[in-house]
Amino acid sequence: MKRREFVKKAAVVTTGSIVLPYLLPSGSLFARTNAPLADHVVYVIFGGGLRQQDSILQRYLADSQNFNVGGNILYNMLEGAPPTSKIAYGTTPSGQPDGIQPIPKILSQTLQKQGTIFAEMRAVSGGHYGGLNSLVTGSRVEGQGLKVRPINPTVFEYARRFGGFKATDTWFIGNTIGNSVPLLNSSKHPDFGLAYGGNFFAPNITFGGDGFAALSNAKIYHPQEELEPMYKMKNFLDNSFNIKKGDMPGIRNTDDERTQIKEFIAATFQRQAAGLLPMPPVSGGDGSTIGYAAEVLRVFKPKLLVVNMSGIDGCHSNFTGYLQSMHRADHALGFLWNYIQNSIPEMSGKTALCFVPECGRNLQHNPILDANDWYGYDHGDTNSLRVFGGMVGPNIQSNLMVGSESNPIGTVTDFNLTIAEILGYKSDVINAGHIDPNAKSLFDRI
Amino acid sequence: MNTPIFKIVITAFLLLFFTQCKKDKNTRYEIIQTPSYGDNLNKDKDKTNIEFHSILTTNLFQKPSSINELTRTDRVIQSCGDKTLINEVIISNYMNSNLVKLPSRRMMVDSTERFVEETYVRFFIRRPTEAEKTWFINFINANKSNVNFRPELVYTAFSASDEYMFY
Repeated sequence: MKRREFVKKAAVVTTGSIVLPYLLPSGSLFARTNAPLADHVVYVIFGGGLRQQDSILQRYLADSQNFNVGGNILYNMLEGAPPTSKIAYGTTPSGQPDGIQPIPKILSQTLQKQGTIFAEMRAVSGGHYGGLNSLVTGSRVEGQGLKVRPINPTVFEYARRFGGFKATDTWFIGNTIGNSVPLLNSSKHPDFGLAYGGNFFAPNITFGGDGFAALSNAKIYHPQEELEPMYKMKNFLDNSFNIKKGDMPGIRNTDDERTQIKEFIAATFQRQAAGLLPMPPVSGGDGSTIGYAAEVLRVFKPKLLVVNMSGIDGCHSNFTGYLQSMHRADHALGFLWNYIQNSIPEMSGKTALCFVPECGRNLQHNPILDANDWYGYDHGDTNSLRVFGGMVGPNIQSNLMVGSESNPIGTVTDFNLTIAEILGYKSDVINAGHIDPNAKSLFDRI
Repeated sequence: MNTPIFKIVITAFLLLFFTQCKKDKNTRYEIIQTPSYGDNLNKDKDKTNIEFHSILTTNLFQKPSSINELTRTDRVIQSCGDKTLINEVIISNYMNSNLVKLPSRRMMVDSTERFVEETYVRFFIRRPTEAEKTWFINFINANKSNVNFRPELVYTAFSASDEYMFY
């Protein structure tokens, strides 16, 4: 072999051996742009509009109903003593006053003690869809219409494209099919879109009465003798039709993933009937959504799961119900974190939890009184841009409070970059150029 | 020969020749019965969930579902991110009904070409191309020995295909 030829071949082999191990099915050349801080992220949208005064500022009724009663009703999340009078945020044992029974604390140590809380952040929208949209895309939502997919890529698309994750590694568990929630698992961005979208379930429909009627009697086909030829025929038909990427009606899982999800659907109906689903002790509503999210975590152990709650939004017309929903959401969040740590060994100690509401609520009440003669609160003014958020898990500083009422730090759009940093592809997301230009990873805000 | 009279005669003759009366032609137009099927090139509008399941249940049960059932099914489809996957589950739910009308396995095996053509027309409202027909005939023949390979699986593949979601 001539010297020049030898040098050329050696260069090709060396380059190939460096590059090839990092080629991903997603087409991304390099898997990670920073060292991951955790293997999994669970992102809880503590949603529905959470008023800063009634939550992290722990003023209970003092800043809303002219009763001088403060206290912390989010005691799985935050440090602080609960209210001592006017108890209406709990459950209602038979024959007793509404909400009289506070739900026992689940976590032995609050999330505040275990992680980092950003006490005073800014939301980018005082509305639900704008708020949710900004949380999943990390962008400001100017020019965004309702009832359409986000115009900017979502956290799922970044995870799949830059993290190289498959569809069943990314999940969005929604609490409703209203408010355009089912459209938030993917954007319509031409460089990302449904090809990189996350899986989505709205469990109260999928596994509720509608889903039971439409899905629970489904046949379980034999994987080799029935499903395999069926998928071969379907794939042949799909290749003949050659659908355009932009025309895809939903996200796509591989054949193996589809089989796995079908088995999950069938098993979930069986476990539901047998009472085996991991539900919070006080369930229903948001608690039920969190329970199904826990079931998805147990089975799929995804890299990224986003779950949203919205029971709190009853505050428009029922302040007492709002307090109860807030307390139950805290209970459900505590349950979820506890379940990950104690019942999913593959995720225990390797999972980061992020939580934030999509918006706050107004400073002034509306004229609607509930059964306790307490006023309701809408959202949309500048007070509804006041929110708090937090994160807990490996490589996240414990017992740290960042910012205060007089010193706001961070915006809700920071969470997308924070998740990208935790999973190891922050630079890719920044370089893609679709994130709020003022957003930073929360690690960079500390 | 070049006298004016001769020219006049010739001109008159030509005028008479080209303007003479002609016998009417009896043209008859008839209709030739030819089945007309489209192709898949112009299917670019996706069916709504309700349209999809209304057509599907008509194909499978030979009667459409009630609007309540369709609305319920629509909600379930919206509640899942992978539409083709959830459609497959719903289809297999339908296949568990004893009301579903399927061709026999014998018909599929013994009259494979006819079965393939009828399935294409039934689901895609078009005839298969020669390549499609050949592929399916070969595939069905190759799976003859698999007793679990039934028309139900072929129907499920067609119902869950991309083309069936468009019109």
